[in-house]
Amino acid sequence: MIPNAALIPTPDAIPVAWGWFYVLLVLTFLLHLLVMNAMLGGGIIALLNSLRRGEQNTLLSKEFSYKWPYTIAIAVNMGVAPLLFIQVLYGHFIYSSSILMASWWLSIILMLILAYYSAYIYAFKFDSLGALRSWVAGFSVVLLLYIAFLFSNNMTLMLQPERWSAYFADGGGRFLNTADPTLIPRYLHFVIGAVAVAGLYLALIGRFNFVKSTVNPQTLIAQGMRYFTIATAISVALGFWFLLALPKNIMLLFMGGSIYGTALLLLGLMLTGVALYLGHNRQVIKTSIATLALLIIMVLMRDLVRTGFLAPYFSMSELQVIPEYSPLIFFLVVFAGGLALVGYMLKLALECRKEVE
Amino acid sequence: MNYPVWDLTTFGGGFFIALIAVVHVLVAHFAVGGGLFLVTLEQKAYRDEDPALLEYVKKHSKFFLLLTMVFGGMTGVGIWWTIALLNPAATSSLIHIFVFGWAAEWVFFLTEIVALFIYYYTFGRMERKKHLLIGWLYFFSAWMSLFLINGIIDFMLSPGAWLENREFWSGFFNPTFWPALTFRTGLSLVLCGVFGFVTAAFVKEQQLRTRLMRICAKWVAIPFVLMLLGGWWYIVALPGSVSHLIFEHSPEMTTYLRTLAWATPVFFAISMFMALRLPNRLQKVLCFGVVGIALIYFGAFEFVREGGRRPYIIYEYMYSNQVFVEDVPGIQQAGFLPTAKWTLHREITAENMDAVGKDLFKFQCSACHSRGGPLNDIQPLVKKYSNIFGMDAKLNGLGKLNTYMPPFMGTRAERWALARYIVKEFNHSSAETGNLAVEDQDLALEIPPFAKDTDEYVLLAWSTLGMKGISDSSERWMMLPPGTSIYAQLIKRGDSPQIVTRAVELRYEMDAEFRTPQEKVAFWEHAEQLFGTQLEPGVGLAGMGLSGTMRLDAEHNAFVAAKVPVVPYPAGGGFNPYPLLTITAFDKESGAELARTRVVAPATTEMGCKTCHGGDWGVADVAGFTLATGEDILAAHDKNSATKLLEQARGGHPILCQSCHADPALGAAGKEGILNFSASIHGWHANFLTERNGAEACAACHGIRADGPTQCFRSHHAQFMDCSNCHGTMEDHALTLLLHEQQQGNQRAAVLLQHLRSRKVKEVAQIEPRAPWSQQPDCLTCHTDFGVGMSVDAFNQWTKNEEELYRNRHDQMGAVMCAACHSSQHAVYPATFNRLGAQRDSIQPLQYQGNNRPIGNDCTVCHTVQPEFEAHHPNSLRI
Repeated sequence: MIPNAALIPTPDAIPVAWGWFYVLLVLTFLLHLLVMNAMLGGGIIALLNSLRRGEQNTLLSKEFSYKWPYTIAIAVNMGVAPLLFIQVLYGHFIYSSSILMASWWLSIILMLILAYYSAYIYAFKFDSLGALRSWVAGFSVVLLLYIAFLFSNNMTLMLQPERWSAYFADGGGRFLNTADPTLIPRYLHFVIGAVAVAGLYLALIGRFNFVKSTVNPQTLIAQGMRYFTIATAISVALGFWFLLALPKNIMLLFMGGSIYGTALLLLGLMLTGVALYLGHNRQVIKTSIATLALLIIMVLMRDLVRTGFLAPYFSMSELQVIPEYSPLIFFLVVFAGGLALVGYMLKLALECRKEVE
Repeated sequence: MNYPVWDLTTFGGGFFIALIAVVHVLVAHFAVGGGLFLVTLEQKAYRDEDPALLEYVKKHSKFFLLLTMVFGGMTGVGIWWTIALLNPAATSSLIHIFVFGWAAEWVFFLTEIVALFIYYYTFGRMERKKHLLIGWLYFFSAWMSLFLINGIIDFMLSPGAWLENREFWSGFFNPTFWPALTFRTGLSLVLCGVFGFVTAAFVKEQQLRTRLMRICAKWVAIPFVLMLLGGWWYIVALPGSVSHLIFEHSPEMTTYLRTLAWATPVFFAISMFMALRLPNRLQKVLCFGVVGIALIYFGAFEFVREGGRRPYIIYEYMYSNQVFVEDVPGIQQAGFLPTAKWTLHREITAENMDAVGKDLFKFQCSACHSRGGPLNDIQPLVKKYSNIFGMDAKLNGLGKLNTYMPPFMGTRAERWALARYIVKEFNHSSAETGNLAVEDQDLALEIPPFAKDTDEYVLLAWSTLGMKGISDSSERWMMLPPGTSIYAQLIKRGDSPQIVTRAVELRYEMDAEFRTPQEKVAFWEHAEQLFGTQLEPGVGLAGMGLSGTMRLDAEHNAFVAAKVPVVPYPAGGGFNPYPLLTITAFDKESGAELARTRVVAPATTEMGCKTCHGGDWGVADVAGFTLATGEDILAAHDKNSATKLLEQARGGHPILCQSCHADPALGAAGKEGILNFSASIHGWHANFLTERNGAEACAACHGIRADGPTQCFRSHHAQFMDCSNCHGTMEDHALTLLLHEQQQGNQRAAVLLQHLRSRKVKEVAQIEPRAPWSQQPDCLTCHTDFGVGMSVDAFNQWTKNEEELYRNRHDQMGAVMCAACHSSQHAVYPATFNRLGAQRDSIQPLQYQGNNRPIGNDCTVCHTVQPEFEAHHPNSLRI
């Protein structure tokens, strides 16, 4: 038998202190989450609404359909950065888990291309598709759910070297982490959470009249907040399932074992309560603020779970630093410039919209 | 092995990266150039107030959006996915070195996406100048993303100063960075013309369509120059070893280079063709053809770039199979498996050998070699290895001379396990050598009579070589033709015995079943092509046949039957490397018979080439060549030395190796700059047979294996010595020849030398160079003053020239030749280990003195009066 730790590859050295990568990872992952929720959750909402009759329901789907293609583009783009930083800090874990499920993992690319093209068809041919549009939306949604499931598999498997010896039974990349009790609750919590956040986005679109179709902005707000509230409530339950499915020592981090962890959970629950209350009252902007804070808490909790799982094997401070700070400075300059450029281009785009109207 | 390896079989060897990367780059480079295309065309449409053109630009930008954002973007992510799955170690290295370069590239991806979406969605709604600005910002972002990824890709091929200083900027701005950027920028611009053809072809209005085709053709033509210049610059900037591999060394690269050679002009021509007024239906089909050619062109380029990097994934830093270059010495010492994480086997046992071999193949080979798949399929490459020894030898030499391969990494036991796995798994064989163990025989032997009291003459005969090798593959090539030379000396017995050379005629005759060798070998059918001389069947290269009259060699005081073309295939079938020859001496005048004796005329075709070159023994399962083996040797030579020998041989012109490789044995002068034959063949093969003990390496090729049919080392020396005692191990042997060639100024020797280490002496510098054939071990090295041998190490002391060779020397009186009394080298008396009978090599000692000792035991064989002083040589009266 090989002791679990013996399988963990030796990590490479990093060019700057690990804290930089950690902050960048958490920050960019949050950005990814914000857009990914819109992509996945919005797709689910659009699908559900496509199945319901009624003009406004259809128009809500249509409104979303306009936004779906570039949402996918940005969601994928926003995923690049955290994936980059996770490979810097935890590459030795994620490469190993990826290879164990390689066949599944690689299939994501094809599925993503198909889901993306399907979303374009949904967007560009919304009206002419007629009843078929539910199938098209459904196709994209199913593929995105499939991709999400594989992500949940990889993200959990990378934290559990004790499961990696499955490689010796089959090195063909067919492994899935279904034996992990946290897999399903984690997956569902993320998916339903996406629906909640997407609902909030729809409400925001209505609130700021950022509409392209003839949908009634009030419908957007009403339906959006309803999706938000219901999905958030279900998420709470799923969250508890997730928490209880965690290994005892990690679960206890949030329930007294660590001040940081306990504070996060308490704060999270409080914010959830606030968000539900505000959401129920259709206070779009206040709910959004509470939800953003909640998302930050959840990203930090997720990170604490990761740290907890890996504690017996690794901590980021172990990484050897061979300092070279000029590339970091270069990146930060480019990042700042890039954000400014994006801001400027969006400004031009919004101005042009106003002109047309 | 730090990481697990995805067990791919058919789709191994890098298939997924090749597929995803090639389709990605085609679209991605279009995504860069297309930005400029859109913006300049839009500008033109505004300037010319051309709404139809503007409409085309809008349509093209939709096509552009759908193609580059989805397929282009997602396959880019796909590359990243794939490299982490196929080569996590290299991916990790690159990510940790270039994280901020990649992070910066990500920023430009973001601005690219935002710009393109805005560009498309506000087309016609945004103020013109601002819209154009968005377009320019898109192009700038796209080109910057190319700029950034280019640094990382080129780093893999030419890390430059980074290997020393480990600095990000040295690694990024590496030796091929700017040339490659120029090339790729040119190509990006060319590709917008290519994809422009596609959208233009579907424009309905004919005049606009024609205009657009012309515009796109210009977009191909003009940047084509930049692309070619960049390409040329790229070639010039390549590190020397990369350039050498691509253009001279790697046979596989030739295919891709040839593809580039035709695809480039075709690409250009067909693009220009599109500018002509063609029927729309043809345009709609041809435009995809252009994309297809572009894909082939680009694919060939990327295959050359990736292939030129072999055997590394990151040049001189990490091998393609994820092993760090600096870790290799440690692995060679400690073994591969003990240093790998993702294996269950830390040591090799009888039970786990299969699994060990499988693991080693997976970890070391599968990164580049698929199994039955389209990329570098291992199966045809190892097909000829039907035994483990041959495959193991191949692994032994891996990467030394074929520098596109990495070395085998691991212990000898691991190497054997891998060889065993390959031979078993792919060729379904468990044979270790594929050689049968041959039983000893005791063939009937006629000892001619000798009447000690009355006979007046003693006739001694011997072959000049202990064993004459024959390469029995003359349909395709020849290196050693039949031609066993027999010497004889006729001695008149007496008080003072005399060597008789006048007034006598010595006739020789091979035993009956060996008199028609032309029926057994094809040599005479090809002799003229090989040697340029017409040879009658059964006649050798000195004009002498299987029977006849011996010629006088006055210089040596002896008679010779020169180059008798005896072949070890008796008429009745089978294999006999020790056929017998009868020599009878006659008085010329009276015709009376003066003496008669018999001697072995050795010849063997037991050359072990088939062990590594495939095929099987051609005759009796123990010797000879099959066509398969013969052809593979030429194929290997063609592959390794860029020749066309196989084609030539198949075309009816078999090759004489010595037509290029000088060889004193055949009196061949060879060609300038090419190593002599012995230096070449030993120098090359020594790389594949290192660290062998005793005669193991020698027996792989020469007919000396103990359980083989020839076993030519059959004197008493064989009891306590093997080839390496006098000739050195394989490495030493090759070094003596290569160093001599190097001394003569031949540059090629250095290539074969570089991986050879001396074994019998401490350093290569201590090896004494020698010319082949004329400089050989000297018996007197051990037999100082002709005494009993005081050592068993005769390596590194050579005869000065041919005259000093044992086979050419005489006793102190210059009368009797050494071999007359002592017999041929490798079979000196007593020689009782002949596989066809213990007495077969001792006919004359048995005939004249009733024992198997050197002639002169006792002296009265020739001396009627017992001599009292040692005239022949010191110590000759010892016994």
